[in-house]
Amino acid sequence: MNNTGNIIEIKGLKKSYDNGKIKALNGMDLEVKKGEFISIMGPSGSGKSSLLNMIGALDTADEGSIKVAGIDLMKTKKLNKFRSKEIGFVFQMHNLIPNLSVIENVEIPMFETNASSTEMKERAVELLKAVDLEDKIGQKPTKLSGGERQRVAIARALVNHPSIILADEPTGSLDSKTGEVILNLLKDLHNKENVTLVMVTHEPYVGNMAERIVTVLDGKAKI
Amino acid sequence: MSFLSLVVKNPFRNKTRSALAIVGIAIGIMVIVALGMVTGGLKNSTQSTLKAGAAEITVIQTGSNSFGSGGTINESTAAEIQNLSGVKDTTGILRASNTSSSIATTTSNSSQSSFGTGGGLSITGIDASQLGLLGIDSLNGTSFTNTSTNQVIMGKTVVQDLNKTVGDTIDLYGQNFTVVGTFETGSFLTDAGIIMPLATLQNLTSNQNKVSDILVKVTDNANVTTVSNEINNAYPNQLTTTTAADQANRINQGLSFIDTASWAISLLAIFIGAVGVINTMIMSVYERTREIGVLKAVGWTNRRILGMILGESIVLTLIAFVVGTVVAVVGVELILTLSPSVGGIITPSFSYDIFLRAFLVAFLVGVFGGLYPAYRASRLSPTEALRYE
Repeated sequence: MNNTGNIIEIKGLKKSYDNGKIKALNGMDLEVKKGEFISIMGPSGSGKSSLLNMIGALDTADEGSIKVAGIDLMKTKKLNKFRSKEIGFVFQMHNLIPNLSVIENVEIPMFETNASSTEMKERAVELLKAVDLEDKIGQKPTKLSGGERQRVAIARALVNHPSIILADEPTGSLDSKTGEVILNLLKDLHNKENVTLVMVTHEPYVGNMAERIVTVLDGKAKI
Repeated sequence: MSFLSLVVKNPFRNKTRSALAIVGIAIGIMVIVALGMVTGGLKNSTQSTLKAGAAEITVIQTGSNSFGSGGTINESTAAEIQNLSGVKDTTGILRASNTSSSIATTTSNSSQSSFGTGGGLSITGIDASQLGLLGIDSLNGTSFTNTSTNQVIMGKTVVQDLNKTVGDTIDLYGQNFTVVGTFETGSFLTDAGIIMPLATLQNLTSNQNKVSDILVKVTDNANVTTVSNEINNAYPNQLTTTTAADQANRINQGLSFIDTASWAISLLAIFIGAVGVINTMIMSVYERTREIGVLKAVGWTNRRILGMILGESIVLTLIAFVVGTVVAVVGVELILTLSPSVGGIITPSFSYDIFLRAFLVAFLVGVFGGLYPAYRASRLSPTEALRYE
């Protein structure tokens, strides 16, 4: 993070696919302050998910600059380490590993840290308590409801004390009531853990829960 | 949860597919272990034919087979050979086969059996004082006396096959013989025979003053090949010599052929098993593409993902090693127990190198079978993997 207080600084970011035919990002500019909660909104194909992938270092840009948590993602080679340390992902489809128990799913990101088995377990239990799933620790994800699975995914995202949570349509596969519970939980944890929350959504009521809405259109931010 | 426990857990997500892959490799491992135990046992037995004290050279009539059957030599020739330089001791023996079907017993717990479907019981006549030249250095019971006409000693294999013990009787050539002693030399050929006084067998087979083989023990500093050539030169076109080392080499050559054949069969089985492992692991990687994307998203390195898939492949093959080894050991023991005639000849080898070889094969199949799927998994782009349906 630089002295401006921005945890994310993106300037003129471009990304195209299919030999340049599809311009996912076309000169994206964005700044996000540490601890901020923003929603990224826009129609399908506008570049929301591509932007999220760039911030999370799941993909690399063609042009421009992107600095996240003080790391220049156009230059660093250690993208795995960056993701492990700085980013927590929450996906629309939760993406839990079906043969592992709830607690084991939460522990998975900690393999890349130096944590001992005991430390891993303690941290996972702490987070599962925070998402109110303490009694489901030993269960397999297949035995959980959609909302419970998403809560496990949120616990997994927070386990390595990341600087930023990237949530891609976290309520997209849930009914509105459960979705609201998940959103409130994300918001609470964002406050408690002092973590920056960047959420992609196309639903206005979800987007309105954020402190700021960034609308993406044709690969550019329209603030 | 440790990384190792994750690697051990993962292969059992699709139990049927993993079980089939394990069976495929286990068959190969079973072949390697079972054939290794059998050929190893036969090799050990062959080495026993070269034991100290036994005759190094066997002299037979030219044209007869390697065990002297089919031709006879005057008994006095043994004394003549004794005078050649480098010869320490000689004795004439008569080998015969009891083709009579009347192998009767007098003890209630004895079973009747036809040993050796081809030529009946192998019977050797020898002077009681020269049993050492046959490699018999100790007896359970006593030896026969040279003047006796109703005493025999029995090798371990015959004892097991006919369920005999010291004191039992056996019908040979229409006469009752008492088993006065039993022996075990380690040589499956010697242990598969019955031994009686030379004169008695000569009388029974109408071969008075004749022997089929002359066993020659050389002096400590003599060269076996030199003495062997000397005997051949002394009796050109009459006698032929075979050394114990030659016999062992001939048997070893046969065993080497079995060994090579067993390797070829094993390699084929392993190849088929390895294809099964590759298929299993590739399918597993395809099915878990999205999950691998998640693992990358949470910061797992390519190396860790490669290690996980490779580890899962090795877990499968190591389980196959355990299964294949257990089945082979139990199977070989079972076959040898249920078939005493085979069991008497073969004492399976439990040499560690057989199991080490099987372990290495299983491990390498795991590594090579898992390498390509693991590489593919590690190279997946996280965004594409996460989009995979």
